[in-house]
Amino acid sequence: MPAQRTFGMDHPHHEWSPIISRPTLRWPANAPVALCVVLVLEHMEWQAPEGSFQVENLAGASVPRAFPDYARLSHREYGHRVGIFRLLDTLEKHGITATIAMDALTAEHYPYLVRHCLDRGCEIIGHGVSVSRMITDNMSEAEERAYIQQSIDALSRATGRTPQGWFGPEYGESQNTPRLLAEAGLRYVCDWANDEQPYPMTTGPNPFFALPLLYELDDVASLAQRKVTVADYQRRLTESFDTLREDGESSGQGRLLALNWHPWLVGQPFRIGAVDAALEHMMASGGVWPATGSQIVEWYQSQNT
Amino acid sequence: MALPPDRIDYLPITDRPVIKWPNDARVALWVSPNVEHYEYFPINEGVRNPWPRTPYPDVQQYTYRDYGNRVGFWRMLEPLDKHGIRCCISLNLAVLEHFPEIAEAMIERDYDYMSHGIYNTRYLYTCTEDEEREFYRDCIDTLKRHTGKQLKGMLGPAITGTVNTPDLMAEAGLIYHTDWFHDDQPTPIKVNNGGKLVSVPYSIELNDSSVLRDNHYTAEYFADICKRQFDRLYEEGAESGQVMCIALHPFLIGQPHRIKYLDDVLGYIMAHDGVWQTTADEIAEYYVANYYDQAMAHARQLA
Repeated sequence: MPAQRTFGMDHPHHEWSPIISRPTLRWPANAPVALCVVLVLEHMEWQAPEGSFQVENLAGASVPRAFPDYARLSHREYGHRVGIFRLLDTLEKHGITATIAMDALTAEHYPYLVRHCLDRGCEIIGHGVSVSRMITDNMSEAEERAYIQQSIDALSRATGRTPQGWFGPEYGESQNTPRLLAEAGLRYVCDWANDEQPYPMTTGPNPFFALPLLYELDDVASLAQRKVTVADYQRRLTESFDTLREDGESSGQGRLLALNWHPWLVGQPFRIGAVDAALEHMMASGGVWPATGSQIVEWYQSQNT
Repeated sequence: MALPPDRIDYLPITDRPVIKWPNDARVALWVSPNVEHYEYFPINEGVRNPWPRTPYPDVQQYTYRDYGNRVGFWRMLEPLDKHGIRCCISLNLAVLEHFPEIAEAMIERDYDYMSHGIYNTRYLYTCTEDEEREFYRDCIDTLKRHTGKQLKGMLGPAITGTVNTPDLMAEAGLIYHTDWFHDDQPTPIKVNNGGKLVSVPYSIELNDSSVLRDNHYTAEYFADICKRQFDRLYEEGAESGQVMCIALHPFLIGQPHRIKYLDDVLGYIMAHDGVWQTTADEIAEYYVANYYDQAMAHARQLA
């Protein structure tokens, strides 16, 4: 519905709350920055089902080609075979546990990868069915509910635990998504890229939170779409962190740096060094609390109740 | 149940047979200039428009590419020769018929060749099975006639294909396909006729067409990422042999403002020990002879 010219947000999903006027948020040990790294394991389908939606500029293989697009499919598959392991090794080296956004097709068809992520202590969160099928407002409420449930069920079966978080493929949402995610028993969502702290969403009786990503540092947005160089990407990561740390210290408001990375992209040999160096810089600062999405939301909730 | 197209078995880099290259090299480096001809007045078969900017001809875009054959190719040879690189040309085979000086220069250097189709404006999308069979016969015969070499592999023309491509390639006796970007090592591609077809990692990332043309980066950046790629693969290659491909287009890398960066990259890489400077033909043959069966067996065991 078009905005009404009145106070606050033009949607019902959360309150208006500028960062200058909200209760102080402190992280464990008073760290100025909480760092959450979300790794995206998503499958691109050989042929997307009829009626499914995907953005036209979906990244991969430099440019999209007509069917059969062996190049783009296989470029994205690089993440599942090679890139993810480079990234997990890098995170482990810096003492960071990954939060993995995994789609249903990956959970169902890559049992080795699921086991590997669980063995390394990663938190696995919902990421839809496949990257070829985004949630949009074209879906009926029933369709969307079934889609969310399909994703949750696939993860529950594959991992033996119920996912707590959600990050839609390509941040896809309808006008109902936060409410439907909360009703499905999830606790947080990463699609809302509008803050540097978690915040409560107004979805109904169950507590439900946004865990905002910093969109400009999304590797697809930076590297694949804006054509940022590898060296500049590293600089943006470290300078973002430095600013968040300063702001976290000076304002007393703990900041969240939630990054999302695609293993097929930053897991490439020539890119991994940049994220390795950026994480090295962050962790060496001493002012960071590395945590998974659930740990951050849990802490946030404990501070605000 | 495997996901379609079910051509590549899942083999995580953490759990697969270790590859040892000849002389214990860490990195197999192959350099692949795309020697192409784009038609002045092509047929638009309706899937992809070869010259979408204007009604045909598009003299600006046609000559931009043809510059590669008249000038860029020859400039590109200088750093390649200086560093002793034996290329694996991604070849539009009609170039052998149109431009004999280019054919002679490649033959003189004993380059290897993979098919890149007949023209870069003729895509495979609309081929029937029989037309595609005839296409492979044409590619194989044309290469043999002009160079004496047996064709072994293909990068689809303009990276296009059909659902049948791997099967028909294997049927025609080809052993490698380079349209796949899922790995830094060769991997088997499953086909329906008992043939052994492998993917040899070409590059959609270290590719002047992606980096310089599609994505508008500088040649200095291209050199930077090639060195970064090499450094990382060289490090990992101590454990298991890696493949690095640098993909070039003479009309892009052969521009006067870019050529020195190719010299820079090749000088950097070739100064290292443990580099097997080779071709996709040799990588594919070596992999099929030594690792293909082992990889297939290991994938079955993981499944």
